[in-house]
Amino acid sequence: MKSKHLSIIAKKEFRGLFNERTILLAVLLQLFIALFSSFLMVGLTSMYDPSSLSQYSRFRYSVAYAGNDSQVLTYLQSSKDFRVFKMDLSTGVAALQERKLAAVVYVADTKPDASDPVKITLYTLQNDLQSAIVDVKLKDIFLKYEQDLRTIRAGRLDVQPVPLQVPSSAGGDFYEFVYGLLIPLLVFMPAIIASALVIDLITEEYQHETLETLISTPVTFAEVIWGKVLACELLVPVQAGMWLFLLVINHIAIQNPVLILLHVCITSLILILLGTLVALHYRERTAAQFVYSTGLVVVILLALAVPSNPLNLLARLAVGTAGVEQWIVLGVTLAIVAVLGYITHWYAGKIGMSHHAG
Amino acid sequence: MGALRDIATIARWEVKKSFSLMGRNVLPVAILLFVLLVLVTGFTAQTGLHLQDGMYRVGVDDPQIAGLIASDARFSVYQLDARTLIANRNSFDVIITGGQAAGSGTDKSNAALKTLSRDYGKYVNSVYNTETDLFAAYPLWIDTESVKSELSFLSTQSGQYISAAPSRTAPVPSGPVPEIPTPSPTLSITEDQLRAQLVKSNTQNSQISRYTETLTSSGAMGAFKTPSQLSPPLPFDSIILVFVFIFPLYFTSQFFMMSIMNERIERKGEILLSTPMRSSSIILGKGLPYFIGMVAICLGLTLYLRAPVEIMLPLLPVIFFFLANALLIGMLSRSFKELSFISIFFSTVATSYLFFPSIFANVHVISLISPLTLIVLSIQGTPWTVTDYLYSTSLFWLTGAVLFYIAAKNFKEERLFSEKPLLTRVREFLSEILPVKYPNLSLFLLSGFSIPFVFMVQMMCLVLFFNLPMPYSLVFLLLFAALIEEFAKSIGIYAMIVRNPSWFTWRNLVIAAGTTAIGFLVGEKLLLFVTLAQISDSIFGSVLFLSLASLWLPLLLHFVGVLIVATSLKLWGRRGFVPGLVIAMTVHCLYNLYFILGWLG
Repeated sequence: MKSKHLSIIAKKEFRGLFNERTILLAVLLQLFIALFSSFLMVGLTSMYDPSSLSQYSRFRYSVAYAGNDSQVLTYLQSSKDFRVFKMDLSTGVAALQERKLAAVVYVADTKPDASDPVKITLYTLQNDLQSAIVDVKLKDIFLKYEQDLRTIRAGRLDVQPVPLQVPSSAGGDFYEFVYGLLIPLLVFMPAIIASALVIDLITEEYQHETLETLISTPVTFAEVIWGKVLACELLVPVQAGMWLFLLVINHIAIQNPVLILLHVCITSLILILLGTLVALHYRERTAAQFVYSTGLVVVILLALAVPSNPLNLLARLAVGTAGVEQWIVLGVTLAIVAVLGYITHWYAGKIGMSHHAG
Repeated sequence: MGALRDIATIARWEVKKSFSLMGRNVLPVAILLFVLLVLVTGFTAQTGLHLQDGMYRVGVDDPQIAGLIASDARFSVYQLDARTLIANRNSFDVIITGGQAAGSGTDKSNAALKTLSRDYGKYVNSVYNTETDLFAAYPLWIDTESVKSELSFLSTQSGQYISAAPSRTAPVPSGPVPEIPTPSPTLSITEDQLRAQLVKSNTQNSQISRYTETLTSSGAMGAFKTPSQLSPPLPFDSIILVFVFIFPLYFTSQFFMMSIMNERIERKGEILLSTPMRSSSIILGKGLPYFIGMVAICLGLTLYLRAPVEIMLPLLPVIFFFLANALLIGMLSRSFKELSFISIFFSTVATSYLFFPSIFANVHVISLISPLTLIVLSIQGTPWTVTDYLYSTSLFWLTGAVLFYIAAKNFKEERLFSEKPLLTRVREFLSEILPVKYPNLSLFLLSGFSIPFVFMVQMMCLVLFFNLPMPYSLVFLLLFAALIEEFAKSIGIYAMIVRNPSWFTWRNLVIAAGTTAIGFLVGEKLLLFVTLAQISDSIFGSVLFLSLASLWLPLLLHFVGVLIVATSLKLWGRRGFVPGLVIAMTVHCLYNLYFILGWLG
């Protein structure tokens, strides 16, 4: 195998890609995914944990309190989030329907140390974003009251849980999402794209019947295949690296960027070689892409079921908690690549022989 | 009748061809892969997804707590004595000494603390769930009652807050006060039922809920909740189900795409084109087997999952939309690479459009722009109305139909077998549906029919920007809405100027701009009238669609916008397109600011 022939094939594929400018679409796609998922996350978090968006916190919501006095009323009155009015239940609900209130709280008249539970009836507006926020704020007050009641009734518990005080922390809402989901996804995406690409490149030669022309040159069939693998593989670090760069620009600190790229490059070779084998076998795009993409789901699911899988490793590298085990994972990955590479080379050689014979 | 027979013939050919292509080699492998997929899914559900393992380092001095935390694979737990921990506190994200957790104040440490407190809450619940006296462990129960407001949701959707001006005195309802019965002080469910619910919500598929528990504390619990369960439930199970439905649709539409593409490779489709059949019969016939297949798959899944059959109703327009796009993508791409990239891009965008709004299904009415929300609602047992159906599916029906029309018009030799770049081809496809004889009429129709697409993209922006805090969401929406509208209005003229520059004298140019503007306005008003009243009344709506009340001002705006782009096209040729768009967008934005928001006034 001559490296000059490989680079000729790789260059040919790159020219094709740049001529069609399809690579731009791939970049756009990743940008879109990142944009949408982070927007979504911001939206969801602000809905379920409104304190993460400061703009909601300066509002005091009006709520009505009905029923006999209890500790809940005291908590509501001292809360910065609420302005509470003692009202008759029916009047309160009517005002709520006219959106003059955010919620109505009715506390049943049960003694704190009674054997029955205390029941609170909470009236809020249906299908309303703000009422979700009010719910979350009321939750804090109810939790405080629940704790009071628990303390009063503590004597009746059989087992006490192991005590642990966890300070409530501000921020860090998006951390697990960004590092544990978004970064592995974005960095690994180029590998998936590259493996789909190699199938297209190979089946295209068959279906457009351009293969005979290629083989009639001094380039062997195996070299053609390896050239295509090379072209796809080269795209991976470029795309993944661009991602890491964009994330860093967005003030998302990434530990070990070089190691991440190394791992992605080697893991992506597994996918690319699998794609190559499928494409060589079927020589027709519909079948190859179908079989490959179903197989890909199986492989990725299986990988995720194994502890310390390459995707998990990417997350750990990015947060800086990967230990020596990363080299073991890398070794295993390399071994799989070597086996697949050998099979590909043997298979391509076999097909090449039959072409020359025929 | 002849057309129907043609369609049936083509459909039969298509089925025969794809079976002979796929049958021998692929079917056994596909069955094998499917079995593997089921096995692996089961295996993964058992072991859990190990994606976030070992993200945090925690140091603990107490073996009991260490065991507790180690059950969450996200933590690497180090058990050391308190002094060593404090001396090395910088190498841990969280240290726990004497039953007190402490972080280091970094983002990562804060995230670790949050996860820790959720885990601990779970553990506490699991202890409390086994208490003999359940009401000592859970002494407080909340009964949530939703009240439907007469004023509908429009006021909050437009970014207002529940009570506009919080007053010092108690609010007095202006309408009649219906009598609300005093709630009974006892729970209507037995202690055992409550305990069963608590146990269920605490152990709920923790491997998957790990990825969602940032969002909710637990799943739906019936009417009675403990305070910690008060957050609105994320309809996660239903959303997974939705994916089960959408995924096979992608695969099947891929086959359709490829079948169209295969006709174009090496001009194989020439035989088909040389038959006396009409192009619309050919594409309908080719699409029919896939349509039937997709419907059959969905129906099978519905019956298998014992889901209500009415979920087929919102799925039909989705299937139609997918097929229309698959057809056009198959006709447009020049090579397999291009086909792959465009189809991946399309499916991602379409999934986002379909999937993300449905997450908000229980929270906000904006979720209804996706047909999938109707499916989520059906599965939950929440009823929806015909208006809801029209609101969420009409854009899919309309865009699907327009795309099919464009494809039918272009399904002929010189389009199918040309090797020109993508954008040129898109332009040619467009100019094909603009007859040379009636330039103004066709511009009128084109801009009218571009409306469903414009709305779709704008809806997408609405979902996207809705998540941002209020002033930003409006600003972004303003800019993008203007850009999208100006772009949609000017592509017709762009296509015509490139095709035939000499026709565009100044007089014709003004007339063309006029007809485009009228077409756009008519389409806009018609569609708004039918479907989008809900959103169009809010402030977001007014930015997107202008107001329904006055007609001549928006018409003038549309006219000026098109005229700007057309003029710059005439003066500087194709290079003038982008600058013209930018100017038109600026004018559009200024208009919106002035008339709708009154910021300059």
